[in-house]
Amino acid sequence: MVASLQNLTVRYGSFTALDSLSAEIPEGCVGLLGPNGAGKTTLIKTMLGFLTPAGGGGSVLGLDIRTQGREIRQKVGLMPEQDCHIPGLNAVQFVAFAGELAGMPSELALRRAHEVLEYCGLGEARYRNVETYSTGMKQRIKLAQALVHGPSLLLLDEPTNGLDPRGREEMLDLIRSVSHGKGVNVIVSSHLLPDVERVCDHVVVVSRGKVTEQGAIARLKVIEGRPIDIELKEESPEFVRAMRDLGATVEATGLVLRVRLEGSAEQVSATIFRTARQTGAQVRGLAVAQRSLEGVFEEAVRA
Amino acid sequence: MPESGLIADLSYRGYDGPLLPPTHRWWVIARMGVRQAFRKRAYWVVTALSAWYYLVMMAVLFFFERAAQSAPGARGEAGFEAFIGRIVWKDQFLHGFGFAQLLYLIAALMLGAGAIANDNRSKALLVILSKPCDKRDYLAGKWMGVFLPLLTMMLIPPLVFFVYGALSYRDYGFLDNPWFFPKFLIVLVLGAAVHTSLVIGISSLFDQGRLAGASYAGIYFLTNFFTQLMVFAWLASQGFRRGGGLRGGAGQSPFAEYVDRLYYVSIDGLLIGLCKAIVGTDGSPQFGMPSPIRPVPAPPLLTTVLVALALCAAGVAVAWSRIRAVEVVR
Repeated sequence: MVASLQNLTVRYGSFTALDSLSAEIPEGCVGLLGPNGAGKTTLIKTMLGFLTPAGGGGSVLGLDIRTQGREIRQKVGLMPEQDCHIPGLNAVQFVAFAGELAGMPSELALRRAHEVLEYCGLGEARYRNVETYSTGMKQRIKLAQALVHGPSLLLLDEPTNGLDPRGREEMLDLIRSVSHGKGVNVIVSSHLLPDVERVCDHVVVVSRGKVTEQGAIARLKVIEGRPIDIELKEESPEFVRAMRDLGATVEATGLVLRVRLEGSAEQVSATIFRTARQTGAQVRGLAVAQRSLEGVFEEAVRA
Repeated sequence: MPESGLIADLSYRGYDGPLLPPTHRWWVIARMGVRQAFRKRAYWVVTALSAWYYLVMMAVLFFFERAAQSAPGARGEAGFEAFIGRIVWKDQFLHGFGFAQLLYLIAALMLGAGAIANDNRSKALLVILSKPCDKRDYLAGKWMGVFLPLLTMMLIPPLVFFVYGALSYRDYGFLDNPWFFPKFLIVLVLGAAVHTSLVIGISSLFDQGRLAGASYAGIYFLTNFFTQLMVFAWLASQGFRRGGGLRGGAGQSPFAEYVDRLYYVSIDGLLIGLCKAIVGTDGSPQFGMPSPIRPVPAPPLLTTVLVALALCAAGVAVAWSRIRAVEVVR
């Protein structure tokens, strides 16, 4: 587990931002989802050791969030949502400085700064003053400063904010590349569900200060009863009738039919193909039906 | 993903080198401040300019000594002896310190006005405080990052003059007071600390270095202007009398003493007062030249030091209240 939080309660005066929140954040790439004001930011602050919980507790990378904030921040890289840099420095100096702050010796920090900036695609632009950078370059340098000290956990806050489609693709590729097979765990806080779906394996949905849903995306998208979506070439009332005669529940949305039938996926598929052949229906597509991540999110927020 | 670059292997690799324990990060921040200061050409120009009194004094001493050597017989030597007899060595440091006040202000503005204000503008705290640093590290680092270059700038000219004097004028009493230079060092440390604390405190109130700089310069000049104006007005009303001193002499009237104290009610005046009180002098004419002007007496040591420390504490307290670590993630 990357982080384990038990009954975490955080208050700002009389307002309770996190209300007995419990979550287990697994290794890999995890999306932190939630509407505005849900408590995501407070959760990140608490995990970084900036806020002392009023109740409960937890650990990040095995370190206590109440007492080991510094140690946690040494092992974590944060890519903030907002533009940020150190005035008067070029990208190499900026990232090397971030490395030194994290505890790297000066020479190693400088060498490593070159490496991560090259990795993040800044190339020769790394010698330019950061204040002259475009939005996309600023996003990359924020990622570079978060990566420089080789963190075990990366916290990315809206990493694709302000990026054009190509920049967004490249940023998501970078995140995907870092978070898969490189030993870096990533938590992505984002409102862009397609981005989360693209790079993350797990999600944690926070709403009104509580975790309302968490788990592997693939599991959360599964619909109870494992229905199958069938796409027909043209409408076929005979096929629908025949399937219903076999005891299936059929919901039609245009040419797409959602079929629920007892049995394994293979058995149901075989039944569908057999029925289609018998009724003359032409099947153009067949897949196990899934909820969209948006659907999962909305349901979790409503809960 | 980058397509090409000078570094062949562009895939991400973890860092497996050493990481220092997550303590004392203030020094990293301070070191960055010092590096940035030392890279500025203007810093060295101001440092060189702040040495003008010492350089002129060294030139005057050198000239008089040469003139004495070239004059025939005992006449030259007597002239030199008379000249050097008028020189109070510790007062030369006081004058060097006093005349460089404006340049110390310029250096403080250059080094400190943007120290926190520019960070506020660029949201540098988001980066700095997301590392194993806290508010104390940040403030201590910023403070030292201004203080150390400022102290260096204030120290170099008198140190050069001290070495020159120690090598050349030992026989004329230059080293008679072994505690003089350590005391003067305390003056420099306190002077740099006052400037640093105030400029850092004001810097923390703004998100633009220029505004912070203008505010600090405004406070500096306004306090200086009004105190000097009042002193001058009173002097003018006294008719700039000679004999008993241009201010009529402390002790002659209670108002004279009040005016003498008023002289120190500014940042500039406070630092000069500190120097006088700690070094233990009221001052004397510059360059060892005869002058009818009665110097303003030194202020009370304890009060002056306490006021300086209070200003330092106030500046730091303002900065402390303005830096909010918890805002690192909004």
